[in-house]
Amino acid sequence: MTIKKFINTVLFVEILKGMALTFKMMLSKPVTIQYPDEKRKIYPGFRGKHAFVRDPKTGRQKCIMCMKCVNICPSQCISLKKGRDENNKPFLEQYDIEALRCIYCGYCVEVCPVCALVLTESYEYCAYTKEEIYFDKNKLLTNWDDYVATLSGDVYWNKFWRPDGVDISKMPKSKREQGPVPIRPIAVQPAPTPEKPPVAAAEKAADPAVKAEEKTEAKKEGE
Amino acid sequence: MDTSSFYGIMDAGTADFLLRMVLMLIKIAVVIVVAMLHVAYSTWFERKIIGHMQIRLGPMRVGPHGLLQPFADFIKLFFKEDIIPSAGDRLVFQAAPMIALFATVSALAVIPFFDDFVIANVNVGLLYLFAMSSLSAYGIILAGWSSNSKYAFLGGLRSSAQVISYEIALALSLVGVMMLSGSLNLVEIVEAQQKHWYGMFAVIQFPAYILFLICAFAETNRTPFDLPEAESELVAGYFVEYSGMRFALFFLGEYIAMIIMSCIAVTCFLGGWTLPPIVIQALPFLALVPGIVWFLLKVYCHLFLYYWIRATVPRFRYDHLMSLGWKILIPISLANIVITSIAKYAF
Repeated sequence: MTIKKFINTVLFVEILKGMALTFKMMLSKPVTIQYPDEKRKIYPGFRGKHAFVRDPKTGRQKCIMCMKCVNICPSQCISLKKGRDENNKPFLEQYDIEALRCIYCGYCVEVCPVCALVLTESYEYCAYTKEEIYFDKNKLLTNWDDYVATLSGDVYWNKFWRPDGVDISKMPKSKREQGPVPIRPIAVQPAPTPEKPPVAAAEKAADPAVKAEEKTEAKKEGE
Repeated sequence: MDTSSFYGIMDAGTADFLLRMVLMLIKIAVVIVVAMLHVAYSTWFERKIIGHMQIRLGPMRVGPHGLLQPFADFIKLFFKEDIIPSAGDRLVFQAAPMIALFATVSALAVIPFFDDFVIANVNVGLLYLFAMSSLSAYGIILAGWSSNSKYAFLGGLRSSAQVISYEIALALSLVGVMMLSGSLNLVEIVEAQQKHWYGMFAVIQFPAYILFLICAFAETNRTPFDLPEAESELVAGYFVEYSGMRFALFFLGEYIAMIIMSCIAVTCFLGGWTLPPIVIQALPFLALVPGIVWFLLKVYCHLFLYYWIRATVPRFRYDHLMSLGWKILIPISLANIVITSIAKYAF
């Protein structure tokens, strides 16, 4: 033991250094964010509550049932069922995301060729029952409406729709052409351009009808 | 005062005795209530200090800045289920926390809080304090043994070994003070310090003061000597099987022991409720401030030191703890006694 080391030990030099540090820290500003009162600033690219982009043209989801999101999902929390209407035209019969199983990797958002899916920046959606966090097709659209209502701009763009480091020329055409989604017309959806509403309304009307049929069928099967 | 007229049939002596008894009981009640409030708020103070040292906020949600947190904790503990291990020794298990608490609380009796305010002004005050702090080790050992759990048992064993080894150095570090003041009475020790211009034995007994502080940390099982309740090894140590109110009794005992150790340090080394005469001479208006203010301020500084150390220093290894106690602290305190006695004889 050198003399210097001995003196350091006797005079508690290292302990006093540590105590000086903790004292300095005591006077510094705490980093705590008192959550319900203060909220953390959310940066672009935050991956939160799932939503379907409501297409401003049709007023419905843009999903084309390509199954890419279902296949890429690492936790396999997305399930999709393709249905056929009376004209043998495919339509999205069922689309469910089990948000409790989701790991929020954002692969589904990146892979979607039509930018139909998005992980919004909303993160406050805890619930008392599992059912409330089990997002079906309509819930996903509602999530979008709820989220968009909190935004201040006119358009919405998610950076994972065109992920960094991927050559844009290798992306599908629909993805290359995808620009920021207008969000304001949705608020005035009931009265857009005169020609469109009948189609949109018809589609909307058809949708619940299909849903209702499904339900009755399911009930019958159950019985 | 003619008290006999108040009591009619009693003679003056009995009446006087009764009156003194009532006054004494009131005094005791005041001290206990104030000590309990101090325990409550020292937990709050600790959580705040350690929180801020770790750049956190500490309790914030119960009352403004978490000021009502101790009461919330107490209510929670009070209504928790009282679990007694079926394989444990029921009677000893129930008695252990009471022994631990009563032994520590009764040490409050001899501490002079300010001029003429001491419950029992006994001539063996310091010895009584040592005896009581040793007794509280019984509570710990019995708790560890009666729980019939390996963690509690190991915690109890470690605690007893630690308390016994550090008690020697603790007592020896105070021998210098006893020699300088020529008394074991705590009031006389404070008065003896007033005879010097510096007014504190910590000035001439500085090594003993540091020794005492180190031993006090070990006596009260605080970091860095908190091996009896080493969370990472022993879950919670000797009170791992305790819950609810019985756990609260241990908790109270531990914090009161901390406060009492601070009180002893203040009384024996820092001049108790007095300020150094040189300070009073320089700033005479300070003499108007009641002594309890200085006493409490000094105690709070010591409590702050406990928390400060806890936030800074990691836990000792067990063999390091033992070798520090036996091979370093005890020889240094013995050397201190020799040097002090030579100095006292010479001057």
